[in-house]
Amino acid sequence: MQNLFATIIQSASSQASQPLTTGGNASIWSHMADALHQSLERILSLLIAILPGILALLVALAVFALIGTALSALLRFGLTAARFDEHLARRHSSINWAPSTSPTALIARGFFWGCVLLGLIIGISAFDASYATATTLPSSLLSYLSRFVEAAVLFIAGTLIARYLARSVLIGAVNEQLQYARFLSLGVKWLVLVLTAAMVLEHLQIGGNIVGLAFGILFGGIVLTLTLAVGLGSRDLVSRSLESHAEHSGENSAAHPATGIDNSIRHF
Amino acid sequence: MAAADQNPGVLSSSAHHGNALLVLLAAMTPEQLETVLANLTASFPAEELLIASPDTPPANAHPSLRMITAPANNSSWILTATDFANAYQLAEKNEAHAILMLGPESSSLSASELCALANPVLAATDLAVPCYSLAPHAGLVNSAILYPITRALFASRVRFPLAVDLGLSLRMAKCLSDAARRFTAANQGGTPLWPANEAAVAGFAVEQFDVGPRVQLAGPELNTILPLVTGPLFSDIKAKAAFWQRFRPLPPVSNAIFTPPAPATETPADIMPMLSAFRLAYTNLHEIWSLVLPPNSMLKLKRLAATDAPAFSIADDLWARIVYDFLLAYRLRTINRGHLLGALIPLYLAWVASHFNISASGASSEDHIEAVAAAFEAEKTYMVSRWRWPDRFNP
Repeated sequence: MQNLFATIIQSASSQASQPLTTGGNASIWSHMADALHQSLERILSLLIAILPGILALLVALAVFALIGTALSALLRFGLTAARFDEHLARRHSSINWAPSTSPTALIARGFFWGCVLLGLIIGISAFDASYATATTLPSSLLSYLSRFVEAAVLFIAGTLIARYLARSVLIGAVNEQLQYARFLSLGVKWLVLVLTAAMVLEHLQIGGNIVGLAFGILFGGIVLTLTLAVGLGSRDLVSRSLESHAEHSGENSAAHPATGIDNSIRHF
Repeated sequence: MAAADQNPGVLSSSAHHGNALLVLLAAMTPEQLETVLANLTASFPAEELLIASPDTPPANAHPSLRMITAPANNSSWILTATDFANAYQLAEKNEAHAILMLGPESSSLSASELCALANPVLAATDLAVPCYSLAPHAGLVNSAILYPITRALFASRVRFPLAVDLGLSLRMAKCLSDAARRFTAANQGGTPLWPANEAAVAGFAVEQFDVGPRVQLAGPELNTILPLVTGPLFSDIKAKAAFWQRFRPLPPVSNAIFTPPAPATETPADIMPMLSAFRLAYTNLHEIWSLVLPPNSMLKLKRLAATDAPAFSIADDLWARIVYDFLLAYRLRTINRGHLLGALIPLYLAWVASHFNISASGASSEDHIEAVAAAFEAEKTYMVSRWRWPDRFNP
């Protein structure tokens, strides 16, 4: 591009002394073609330089996945033959294992994914080395990639926590017979999801201060909405509870103040 | 069920070196302790008794009785792993030949009822369990889940599998102590143990005795009780899967047939709050239930949610399948176990409402409980099929 600009400036200065001819046009086109050619050459040479790195990444991943599969199968076979699950169950009977997550299955799966992770790390470092030698850019791809992986883990964890908390709130609120149980559960879920999204974007360094600001506004808005909704929605409930308490003060209440279920019933 | 034997001679004839009977008492008031001690001395020779209590007895009340200090019960309303571990430890230390565990409010048990629990374990029985005469509105978790599932899976007629008063032979106490050790080692000493299930698996002799009405201590509220009781029961069933998957005939009813309590003159309970709890749950927990229950059950629940209060009734086979499906989901960890047991509460309330409706229609409450237990037995094949092939058999 520098050559191109230099040529353009040079030709512009010479235009002042010389009249425009067809030969001048040809020189501009040839310079443009040269510049494009050089750029293409640079990109192709960069691709050729990092191609071994990409291939190394794929090969490392495939080889370690194969090793992981073989190791996992071997372990599964060995542990099943040694009745590892039964021995463990005899020692620690208080631990409940689901059939899909038996100790043998967990160990075998752990080894497989461990090998895949090792392959991924080796492949990425090979790719990063080849990329670093091929380019003069100061930032390393590996550091951003690791940041991306961390953000992905953060996102998955946030989603799982949101789902768990939403279910906990829903079941708890239903058992307390709150009419707005679903709304409450959705509110909690979106609070956690918004928090997670803000953390992920912050981690990826996308958006800068705007994300923090937007998150603050959104989070505050959700909390305010929930407070108003719960406050207004439970007004009747609170007044009923207070009335019931006033009526039965000094006596044993016949019914649970929140659920209204008869207290004379002995469940156990 | 055997009638209460009022003859204290068994104890005298079984006099051995050491103490014949270790009586382990729960924490109670001085008046209650005095009543229990008076009942015990009226039934058994004092020199053969060793009383272990967490409370200090009144001074000079029973000088002939030997008393030791026992650790207080882990929980006031059930017997836990720690209680059984402590019981065996004390019995072994004091060379006792049998143990009588008495829960809180056991002063409401008469001398003859204490004899009925203690004498069999001093003879040949390993586990003596009481059969209480409770009001129709009491012991509902027991009637809806604990009794039917224990009867169907473990072929045991024990009507109160989590009774707080028990008679244990020394080998039964050892068996329970071994089971308890696994929990105490994992710092889970508060977990309830299931003596009837342990006895069934060990092949020990179990006898049940009518002890009449008993004053009950108010336990925690339903939202706490149900997960606390059903979780350990489901875990125990999972651990003993190899035992109950085989067909075993139910032992015949004993000569002294259990007579249900006379219909109490208590006012019928209001089922509307329970029904509204169920309907609210059907609207909100539909997605969670559909992860656990098959479409057929969900369809029946949909119809139930639309049924009016007077006609509201859960079919016994539907209830049995619901409990079995929750048990399977517990085993497979379909959803978080805390969530699963929480989602069972509204369904249980629906069963209670249905049970009250049936009782209000004039049918005997005890007959309905027996019919539910029979339905659990009939649906055991469904349970075993789904246990073995959870993905293949899902009607």
